[in-house]
Amino acid sequence: MQPATVYTRDRCITGIHGMDEILRGGIPYGSTVLAAGTCGSGKTTLGMEFLVRGALAGEACAHFTATEPSVKLLENIRQYAFFDMNMIDSGLINVFDMDVLYSWLGLDKASFDLDDVHALIKAIVDIVNTIGVTRLVIDSVTTLCYKIKSEQLIRDFLFTLGKKLATLGCTTILISEITSATENAHWSSFGVEEAIADGIIVMGDVERMGHLLRFLQVVKMRGTSHSRAKHAIELTPLGVMLTPMLKWGAVSDKTNRWGA
Amino acid sequence: MKMYELDQRIAEQLTEVSLNSSIQVRCGNSNAFMVTASTMIPLMQMFEMGGVYICATRGAVEIIEAFEAIGVDVSNIQFVDLVSSGILGGTEVPYNNITFVDSPIMLESVLLRTLYILRISNNERNFVLIDSVNALAIYNEERMLAEYLHTFINTFRQREVLSVILNIPDQVPPTVLSNLDLYCTDLIDRGQVVIH
Repeated sequence: MQPATVYTRDRCITGIHGMDEILRGGIPYGSTVLAAGTCGSGKTTLGMEFLVRGALAGEACAHFTATEPSVKLLENIRQYAFFDMNMIDSGLINVFDMDVLYSWLGLDKASFDLDDVHALIKAIVDIVNTIGVTRLVIDSVTTLCYKIKSEQLIRDFLFTLGKKLATLGCTTILISEITSATENAHWSSFGVEEAIADGIIVMGDVERMGHLLRFLQVVKMRGTSHSRAKHAIELTPLGVMLTPMLKWGAVSDKTNRWGA
Repeated sequence: MKMYELDQRIAEQLTEVSLNSSIQVRCGNSNAFMVTASTMIPLMQMFEMGGVYICATRGAVEIIEAFEAIGVDVSNIQFVDLVSSGILGGTEVPYNNITFVDSPIMLESVLLRTLYILRISNNERNFVLIDSVNALAIYNEERMLAEYLHTFINTFRQREVLSVILNIPDQVPPTVLSNLDLYCTDLIDRGQVVIH
């Protein structure tokens, strides 16, 4: 008897130490993944390493930064041995300041309406399409969505953006900032990002006797089986490194779910 | 120079272990350094291994200086120091083969740091040495420590890195000790010290 043929979706191999094992081979190609984490949990480093590993494989990558200016972002990321400034110079990694993009689009305003949101989506998609981007990081979608006042509009924005990027074959990481205030309900700031995303990676801290240990947990990833265990993270010069968190040490000393 | 008589039988015993072995090294309070040196020196000099020394008992500087005092160069060994970050100014050290982890309770960080060092190491053959289970037991709950040692040993066994676990048996929680007996493939027992 021949074994049944199992269909496996093409994967975007992240190249991040341990990550592809957790995802049983990588992120399903074209997915929109929400990387939700508390401050200092390693979201930006994870996102940047995702792009660098792609660039090393010859993929065109883009990073939209809304939380810090690109100059500052690059200065911070240069300390990592995995990063090479030539990737920026050669156009393999393209970093865009959202503030600059807003200016180009004439969106220097406190809040966005439907037309503004559509203009923003079109601009991002055009950039992705023009450059042929296959890996995209938006850091952070939380900062970006602060300008979108309606929950429905945020949902539309993320859904449409995700759909268009998937059509272009672009695997996207949307970085989302969460705090302990959101611990009981959501892995996102607005409560809608998680419903739209194909995958959710939660990052945070476990407090153990006054020390914070970074962790990462893949909560959801459509199109692949994956580990749902908590993994400890270390940010090394070679990039993110992961190991399963000790079962007897995976819960914070405090009762809260995602750490302090 | 302080003279130490090394235990040659340990070197003989080490000829029988393979890279994916895990050795439990039992010693007493008074002979801990002699037993450690008797294990480390053959690994470095006879078997030409590099390695990672995880210092939970004493700071790395103290250990390096102890080796230097008996004329042994340990510059090829990387030290992961779990002690000195707890002392203000403890991390200002004159050696560049020491890295620091904030606390012995950050067990996963210790594992990842060790894996990182091995990733950048040029040595073909490596060992990792934990000094010691007793010191880790001060900070870590029994079940967690037993689980950690299980993970630690299997992680390095899979990577063909020799693990050496130092402990003073009468100061190790019984469950941890019995688990070590189960996980480790070899035992060097110098736990009983006869005082003349």
